[in-house]
This record gives sequence, C-alpha cells and structure tokens, in this order.
Amino acid sequence: MDENRKIIQVLIAICSLFFIIVGYLTYIQLFRSRDFMANTYNRRQYKIEENTSRGNIYDRNGVLLAYSKLEGEEQERIYPYGALYSQVIGYSSKVYGKSQIEAAYNNELLGIDDLSQVFGMVSGSNYPTRKGNNLYLTIDHKLQALGGELLNGRKGAVVAMDPKTGEILALVSSPNFDPGAKKLEENWQSMVESEDAPFLCRAAQGLYAPGSTFKILITAAAIENGMENEVFEDNGSIIIDEREIRNSESKAYGKIDLKKALALSSNVVYAHLGTELGMGSFMDITNRTGFEKEIPFDIPMSKSRFPYESMDKTDLAEAAIGQGKVLVTPLHMAMITSGVANGGIMMEPVLVKSIAHAEGKSNKELKADKLGRIMESDVAEKIRVMMQEVVASGTGHNAAIKGISVAGKTGTAENELSVKKKAKEHSWFVGFAPAEDPKIAVAVIVEYGGSGSEAAVPIAKRIMSQYLSQ
Amino acid sequence: MLGAITYRRPLNLIAAFNIIGYLFLFFSDEPYNWMTLAVGGAATFIICSACLIIIKRNHGDEYLILIVSMLLSVGLMMIYRLDERLGLKQLVWIAVGLGLFFAFYHIYIKVDKWDRFAYVYIALSAVLYLVTLVLGRNINGAVNWIVIGGFSFQPSELCKILFVFFLASYFKNPDNLFLEKYIQDKRLRVLLNKVLLMLVAYCNIGFLVLQRELGTALLLFLTFLLVLYVFSKDLKLFLLNSAFIVPGVIFGYFMFYHLRVRVDAWLNPWADITNKGYQIAQSLFAIASGGFFGTGIGMGRPDMVPAVSTDFIFSAICEEMGIFGGVAVVLLCMLFTYRGIKIVLGLKDRFKKILGLGIVTMIGLQTFIIIGGVIKLIPLTGITLPFVSYGGSSLITSFIALGILQAISNPKFDRAGGEANG
Repeated sequence: MDENRKIIQVLIAICSLFFIIVGYLTYIQLFRSRDFMANTYNRRQYKIEENTSRGNIYDRNGVLLAYSKLEGEEQERIYPYGALYSQVIGYSSKVYGKSQIEAAYNNELLGIDDLSQVFGMVSGSNYPTRKGNNLYLTIDHKLQALGGELLNGRKGAVVAMDPKTGEILALVSSPNFDPGAKKLEENWQSMVESEDAPFLCRAAQGLYAPGSTFKILITAAAIENGMENEVFEDNGSIIIDEREIRNSESKAYGKIDLKKALALSSNVVYAHLGTELGMGSFMDITNRTGFEKEIPFDIPMSKSRFPYESMDKTDLAEAAIGQGKVLVTPLHMAMITSGVANGGIMMEPVLVKSIAHAEGKSNKELKADKLGRIMESDVAEKIRVMMQEVVASGTGHNAAIKGISVAGKTGTAENELSVKKKAKEHSWFVGFAPAEDPKIAVAVIVEYGGSGSEAAVPIAKRIMSQYLSQ
Repeated sequence: MLGAITYRRPLNLIAAFNIIGYLFLFFSDEPYNWMTLAVGGAATFIICSACLIIIKRNHGDEYLILIVSMLLSVGLMMIYRLDERLGLKQLVWIAVGLGLFFAFYHIYIKVDKWDRFAYVYIALSAVLYLVTLVLGRNINGAVNWIVIGGFSFQPSELCKILFVFFLASYFKNPDNLFLEKYIQDKRLRVLLNKVLLMLVAYCNIGFLVLQRELGTALLLFLTFLLVLYVFSKDLKLFLLNSAFIVPGVIFGYFMFYHLRVRVDAWLNPWADITNKGYQIAQSLFAIASGGFFGTGIGMGRPDMVPAVSTDFIFSAICEEMGIFGGVAVVLLCMLFTYRGIKIVLGLKDRFKKILGLGIVTMIGLQTFIIIGGVIKLIPLTGITLPFVSYGGSSLITSFIALGILQAISNPKFDRAGGEANG
C-alpha cells in the first residue's frame, strides 16, 4: 500500500532527527564542553565556592602559605607571604578566576573529589558551609624565601628540587606580583600590559638560551661516543664556516681534555665537539632529556625548544655551547641536573606533596613517577665527577661549600641585548650537592646578570648550603 | 509470586528506577525529607498501576504506556528534585492525566463517530483561540494562557488535538469534506476543499503565531505537511505548502521581533549572553557540566537554568543524569514513535490511521523541536517536552492524545471503513 510506504518514510525521517540529536549531544560533550565549563558566565563554580571554605595551602613543613577568611558574606583569600608565591600558588579571584595551584587543584581545595560527589556534598544551596581539603606543597618555605631574597628584585628564577624524588623545594620567579584580590584588581591592567610580564612564572615557563649549562648534555653525548679521553687543542677561538667562536675573554687553554674543557667551559672545545658529534647525537640526547616534549607538571610549564629541521656546522657549534635556537626553562634545566645527580634517571617534577582531607580522615600522598633514563648510570657518574671539578677548580669555584662536595656548571647566555652590548648576558648556574649522595639540585638564572659565576653562583651556593644545614 | 520479580519485565525496571531514584534523593539530603519517600511511593504506585491495568485488561498495545511511564518517571523525579512543590503538583497532574487517559480511551471507543464532527473541531478551535485572545494573560511573554479562578490553562494545547482530528476527518475521504451539498461540479468542489483545508490550517498557525506560540505553530505546520504527504493524492499541494516555509520564515523574521531574537540567540548566543543568549547559554552550561554520566541526581545546579522544569527540563536531565540519560530520553521518544507508527501501519480504518499518524508525529516532532532547541541544534521555541516537562495543560493534552492512540491500538475496535456498527 502506497500510504504505508510513505508512513515508513515518515518514521525514518523522524528517527533520523532523533539520531541527529544524539550525535549533536555527543559532539557538544566531546568538543565543546570544556569551553562551556570555562565560560565566565557559568556560575556553577562560584555557587559551589560560596558555601565552601576553600582549603589552606601549606609548605612541606606546615608553614601556612594561603588561607581563606570570611569577610561578611564574601570569602577573601589571604596570602601571608604576598608576592613570593604568586607564580606557584597563583591567585583565586572572583573577577579574574584562578591560576597555577589554585586553578590546578581547585576541586581538591573545594573538596569536590569523587567520593563527595557520590554522596552529594557538592550540591544544593541549602548546605551548610563545608571545608575544602588542605594542600601540602613540596616547597620548603625557608628556601623559597631565601631565593626571593637573593634575587632581590632582579629578573630571573631559582629552582631547587630533590633529585631523587622530583619534589620541588623552591620555585622562585621574579618579577612577581601581589596575588591578593584587591591588589589584583587595582593592578590588573598595568600588569597585563607590563613588558616585565609579572604573571609569567619564569621558573617553569620562561624560555632562555641555556648557554654553557647545555655543555652537560654535550658531555654526555661525547662520553657515549667514546670521546671521553680525547685531548683537544684550545687556541682561544675557532672558526667554523666563517663563524668565529671564542672563549670567554678569548682565553687560550692549550691542550686540554674533556674534564678540563668542562671545568673551564671552553667554547672552542665544545664547538668543535658539536661539529664532530653531528645532528644525530644532538637529536638523540635532546630527545631523551625531554626537549620539545610536554612534561607533566602541576602548573603550566613550557616545552624546552630544540627546533632544528637540519643543522649545518655553524648550527652544531652554536648549539653545543647552548646558543642558537636552543631554549630551556629553568625548571627543565634543574630536572636535567637532577637526572645526572640521580644516576641518569630523571624524575617527574612534583609540587604538591599531599592532600589532607578537611576532617583529617586520610592524607593522599602524591608521588612522582620516573620520567625515564636520560643516560646510563656510568655516564652520569663520569659527568658528576667532571661537574665536581667545575666547582673545585673551574668557573664554578664560588659555589664551593665548606665540608660539602658540590657539583655544578655555570653558564653565560647571550641575549638580544648583550649581543648589541646594551646589557650583560644572562647568568646561569646548575648544580647539586652533596655530590656523592645528592639531596638537592638547583638551577638559577639571573637575567642580564653577566657571567655565571658573577650572579647565579652565589645564589645557588646559599640555597644549597641553607638546605643542607637544616 | 517471586517469579514476578525479574528484570525481564519492563514494568519491574520502571518500578526499580523509581524506587532507586527516590531512595537516592532521600539519602542525599540531610535532614531526611520524608516527603521524598511519600512522593516516590505514590509515583511508583500510580504509574505502575496504570501500566498493569493496560496490560492485564488487554486494552491494546502495552508498550506505549510503558514507554510513557518511563518518561513520566524521569520527568517527575527531576521536577521534584528541582522544586518539591512543583513535583507534588506534577504528581497530581499525572494522576489526573492518567484518569483522563483511561477516560478518553473509553470515550473514544464508545463514541466511535469521530469522523463526523469536522465542523465541531473547527468551531471549537476557533472559540478557544478567540477566548484566549480576549481573556488571555501574558505569562512569560506568550499570550496563550487563560486564567479561570486561579487556575491557568493553555488552550492552544487542546487545539493541537482538535487540528489532528480535523485533518483525519478531512482526509478520510480526501477533498470531499466541505460544500458537498452546495456545489455539484466535482473539480470546483475539490479545489475549494483544498483552499478551505489550507485556510483552516493557516488560520490555526496564524493564531498560534499571534499568541507567540512559535513552537506549537511549527509543530502544527510540520504535522500538517506530513499528513498531506502521506494521505493526499495531490503531490503538488504538498510541494506548494512545503514551499511556504521559505517566505513564511523570511516574513516572520522581519515581522516579529521575538522570532528575530530567537534566531539571533540560536546563531550566536555568546554575543549577547546576558540577554538574548542567556537561556540557551545557561542550558548549554548545564549540559556540559553533566558529562557523559551526569553529576548524579540532586547534585548538579540545573536550578540556574531559567524555565528548567518546563521548557528546559532536558538540560536538567543532561546535567544530573548525563548525556547518557539525555540520550535515553531521546531513545524513549524514538521508541514511542516507532511503536506508534507500527500501530498506525496495521490499521485498516482510514480515519484512525490518519488520527494515529497525526498524534504520533506530533508527539515525536514536539520532542525534537524542544530538545533540538535547548541543545542549540535549532532555534529555541518554547514548547514542553511531552510527558516529561512540568505543566498541567501539556500533560493533560498528551494524556488525552495517548488515550486516543491507546484506543486506536486496540485491534478489537478496528474495522475497515470505520462506520459505526449501530
């Protein structure tokens, strides 16, 4: 019957409409829901917050770093140490949202974990005020405060971590800002427009040329390629494809081996090594150590860059001394240093040590995973000895601490102003101590601070000795 | 007796859904609200009894009421969770609606001469529209309510059913309804009949647009088109009416500000999120926050969505029961359509066939129009989600329609020709 055929067509048409709905719903959920949730007009987050007393944040030893105070109807977030943690803990503002730890651990701080969701503690406006969970960071407040004090307003970053556990002990960035709600509102526009980028967490997101600290990786590649015992002729400068690469102050060191070359930070030897090793070795070692890779971290972290498609001899020579297109974050440099200190195994960096349930039920301990082996343990061991030599008799001698063996490497990174002689270079130091049983690894950069030993080394030394004396 | 407790019987699943759902609501909120258990118990009892009566007494197809029961359960639970007072009212409406469902089931079978009242349907619709225009109250921007003694009612809901009845009467013997005695020339009569048919249809739609019932107007128009497509031998007439969509939409867009607002809000709700796009944006927030499995009933914040217990009930379901819950509702509506069409296919009586198809497509399309609207698939038009949304007029109309469909589905009363047996 003709009519029944048409009725079936109607059925098919209506069913197709329903399938379109199902498809569109799935599309919304898969591709659009994040945007919708993050929309500032979505009041769900704030509603939950209104009846939740946001959790406190402590350092590893229980020093209170952030808490909420009820001011009339409104909650105010108080940061007792002001700007010191502005790029670690971030801010929590009704107007500007949240950043860093406040954003990443928002659910935990509000007590919205899976369990409470099942038992319905989140919902309803008629709920009494609840308490969120407290966070314990891996940060050591004394170290963080010392880092801030030592940078003393200079732009730069100080990172300290436990090389064996990946726990971040200090993550200082400068310049910083006052994360208090009122100050934030007052200064927002000027800070957004500021050339100093105070919101940028330089320690985790600042990208710098690593300078001579990069030679640690080239040394690893050289050892792996059996060039450990080679002796090089250093005349103070080397010309590679018409590009002259010179040592610091054009000093000539004569016949030196790899150990000496690292200790004295000979650009001539390393530029030569770079051309000898070739692109394959560079790609291999940067790949292993996490360049161009997203590294999981509690707060936003930039990818370190090694963006070469192809490398000619000049590129190889420049990259070998940490110039050219190589860019690293201070945190990544600290991780690489920790990898060497930890027998070749690089740990995932962690910033949160534990989450303490508001009613004190059970603490959730957060442990770092291994990111992977960046070099064989015997290679790491050889580099450790060489890095000790840097501090014992080389460019890093100012980092030496009485009674403790320190391993390290200085760096002096050219920047857009230093090449025009308008400012000094960026000053780098990475290192760890005690060398035989490393408890702390550091990476320090002071922008326009000059040579490594000039600005960065003293800071690193104070940080390490402070931590080891505790 | 224990044999009755099996997951294989759909009725048991409906009962289990209700019992578990209300228990969950009960335990999720301290201090315990005993009314939750009372409402849950009553809802389970009422809904299951209705299903049992249909099944045990062999009143035609049993799946229609089972599917509707599930929709009712989801809707009532959601409404009760959003607003206890409304939930209680809805429960009363469901009870009344089920009463009317059975009443109309019997009335339809008893009267059985429904194809003879075409003029009554037109007249009744006209009266209802006029009464609304004269006495109508403006509620939520639509002048479509009449309030009698504190009791508000939406006449346009009833007009939907009357329209389907009219269509069925007209197409029972196509193009011979009007002027049979007055015009002898057959061709002229057919032509005039077609003109009058369109006149009735577009008057209906016109009144609805005047009352700002855009959703119902669209629904009526689409139902009209589908019936025309299936039952009219005149394909040109169908194409002509389909072609009205384009100028109709353009005309409406420039003539009516509220239509323009709806379209703008659909195209880009984010541009004017505090105003025009507010509703749809809040709806999308709710859907997004539910994820695939939902926040759990009683744990989301669907109360932030405007008109959440009526037009936007689907967003609340998505937030608290997840996309899967939402898809389940869509699939239930699809099953309902499938089941309804299956019944229609088996009918011999032409009047019943048209009536059945009209009711089924109307309920199916209404579901699509409102769900499509709240998820921003199509422009939002304020109509209710049948059997799920809060609202007496809507529920009662849906139940009357269901009662008629139930009566049609009973094969005992299906005869070719459909003439009264005297």
